[in-house]
Amino acid sequence: MICPRCDSENVNILTKAPVDDAWEVYICETCCFSWRSTESSEIRDPEKYDKRFKIDPDKISKLDQIPPIPELK
Amino acid sequence: MAYKDLREFLKVLEAEGQLVTIEDQVMPEPDLSAIGRSAPDVENGPAVMVKNIKGYKNSVVLNVHGSWQNHALMLGLPKDTPVKEQFFELDKLWSKYPIKPVWVDDAPVKEVKITEGINLFDVIPLFRVNKFDGGFYLSKAIIVSRDPEDPDNFEKQNAGTYRIQVKGKDLVGIQPLPFHDIAVHLKKAEEKNEPLPIAICLGNDPVLNFMASTPIEYVQSEYDFAGALKGEPIELTKSEAGKLDIPARSEIVLEGYIIPRQRKIEGPFGEFPGSYSGARLQPEVKIHTITHRVNPIFENLYLGMPWTEIDYLMALNTSLPLYRQLKRDFPEVVAVNAMYTHGIGVIISTKSRFGGYGKAVAMRLLSTPHGMPYSKIVIVVDEFVDPFNLEQVMWALTTRVRPDKDVVLIPNAPGMPLDPSSEPAGMHTKLIIDATTPVAPDKARDTELLDVPEKADFWMDYLKKSINEVRRNK
Repeated sequence: MICPRCDSENVNILTKAPVDDAWEVYICETCCFSWRSTESSEIRDPEKYDKRFKIDPDKISKLDQIPPIPELK
Repeated sequence: MAYKDLREFLKVLEAEGQLVTIEDQVMPEPDLSAIGRSAPDVENGPAVMVKNIKGYKNSVVLNVHGSWQNHALMLGLPKDTPVKEQFFELDKLWSKYPIKPVWVDDAPVKEVKITEGINLFDVIPLFRVNKFDGGFYLSKAIIVSRDPEDPDNFEKQNAGTYRIQVKGKDLVGIQPLPFHDIAVHLKKAEEKNEPLPIAICLGNDPVLNFMASTPIEYVQSEYDFAGALKGEPIELTKSEAGKLDIPARSEIVLEGYIIPRQRKIEGPFGEFPGSYSGARLQPEVKIHTITHRVNPIFENLYLGMPWTEIDYLMALNTSLPLYRQLKRDFPEVVAVNAMYTHGIGVIISTKSRFGGYGKAVAMRLLSTPHGMPYSKIVIVVDEFVDPFNLEQVMWALTTRVRPDKDVVLIPNAPGMPLDPSSEPAGMHTKLIIDATTPVAPDKARDTELLDVPEKADFWMDYLKKSINEVRRNK
């Protein structure tokens, strides 16, 4: 399985539904995106995921830090 | 007060016709988000209890604070109390601070305790709040933490609302912005490379949520304020670990610790200014214990293009501390309306003691702890203009303002990073519009304002009674 947001293959099942195996939730270990198997294809499908919200895995480490990590005392 | 916790408040809402219960099965997406968006748009927006969510055991409640009617009932007032009256009633209750909490042994939130095999999805019916959120969020949690350098100080303990992204069965991300109290706690813990114990409290007495999103001082207790608003002590109990004081009657409490000196990608998340905040590197929380009531209710909040529930929740509790901080030094201030996007927009009404007074009051607002980062547009109107009445405020803007003298820009000042116009994120140019009537030594053209005709009060009562009769007979 491929992460719809960052196209990483580093995806795991986060959980199954507590009742009736109604759905599964997946988590991308690269960009922390999570989604449910019953969501629309615009959320599940890497081809259809809105390009404005796509994440480039190479840029994750350069994102702003909130809050900044302080100096050790 | 007529209620002691969320469950009892829902009974109050039901009795007042302010609660809708949905028994039909709904999907987590997109139904819950759509219900949260729609409820505050319904006239006198009700809270909505959703009983049957596909794949989940427990129920969800949305829009508990999402109308002025619900807000009034939270304060123990009749549901038709006008906003301005709610503001002044709140001011009266504020004066009762502090009413200290009590600690109870048989806390309902301890009915069920989980320490092994934790899976947040087993207890909480998580759902995507907005379409391009990075995951499933807790958007109405109260997060409790203590000052690591003064751990026994009750007042320095903080109970605040910060967004929480679920990232694993027992792992969540948190957003402590640098000017939030929890960021003070975290900085002290991280300087020593120590985990910061926290409790994430869900499904709370609505007054607690109200106080957890109120910008009070660092050494003031949200619990003592909540007691003041209720006129009776809040019931607390101790967390299982970390010596935190948590609400005894919350539905669910997740206990864990912020992992020190580590940041992981979090977001985006649809935020209160009506836009997504971007993905950033933020701290994560390891959950080690869950306690909850039997059949817990998951309360969450939809936030979207204003107005949604959050705009009601953060309206008067943003206005009142600002009002009090101004009033202390400038007794001429009559009221403060900071209801617009958590105080990014503020309207102050004040009498002017001398020329330029309106500007000075605005600058004081911009130097308060909340006004400094959040407030960007400050409008000052005369004492006879109701700042909660936008028609009156527009009258003041159109007839009082001399743009060459009364409009001031303060460039490169502190800003609110979630405001998409804050550029760079965290910086604002402030705008002050002084729409007060100039007083000496300032000069204005002589103007005589129109008076209300004599006997207007008599005819107002007459017309009200008449129209009520006409409507009753229809």
